Amino acid sequence: MLTGHCECGSVAFTVARVQSHPSACHCSQCRRLSGHIWSGTSVAHDDLTFTSDSNLKWYRSSDHAQRGFCGTCGSSLFYKPDGADHVSVATGSFDTPTGLKLRRHIFVADKGDYYDIADDAPQFENY
Amino acid sequence: MHSGSCLCGAVSYQTDATPQGASFCHCGQCRAQSGGVWSSAHVPVDMLTITGPVKWFAASDIAKRGFCPDCGSFLFWKAHDEDMISFSLGSLPNPTGIALEKHIFTADKGDYYTIADGLPQKP
Repeated sequence: MLTGHCECGSVAFTVARVQSHPSACHCSQCRRLSGHIWSGTSVAHDDLTFTSDSNLKWYRSSDHAQRGFCGTCGSSLFYKPDGADHVSVATGSFDTPTGLKLRRHIFVADKGDYYDIADDAPQFENY
Repeated sequence: MHSGSCLCGAVSYQTDATPQGASFCHCGQCRAQSGGVWSSAHVPVDMLTITGPVKWFAASDIAKRGFCPDCGSFLFWKAHDEDMISFSLGSLPNPTGIALEKHIFTADKGDYYTIADGLPQKP
């Protein structure tokens, strides 16, 4: 089981199990939102339990997904595709150690020009 | 000139100063707030113009963090006793003309990724 929370603790949750190990997203939406790279770990809806969700806010970032963040501290916490069986939970919100391992970089065609990707995780131009 | 904005566009900024100290930050506060890793560069605070309803949150007693209250984008970091302000590099459009120089707070990095780009690491 993993535990996670926003920076101020207004939103906190447990994850019973993950669907897959995390991805690092380099799309411009994730870069603007996170400030650099957003890392998401897929979790089935039934495996995500909130222990606190006061001031959790949702922003519709496209016609097919919403993003959840803490309205108090601004922490970016969730990416929720419409109709999917899972939600992507921000890997940065998990308490460590997570025991997770980054499995891929996605949307690297849209990455920023100010850094290089140098680790050995596979890179995908899109998803 | 550099100008950037949050994801929804409600908060934007611009500066004519040359950004300094481009860094990746791996501290737990930045990882929680960004969802992954935060990167930023700093300019004199009186040379950064912010437009829109930025919301400030003090994650510690030494600094405050600025984000968009509408979409949650994490944009700014400002130490109370410094005359510089950091803005996120992810909020800039390409090409930025900026190159990251270092990783900071690497002792606090997440266990789920590696740092492999050869840049200096400050624990």
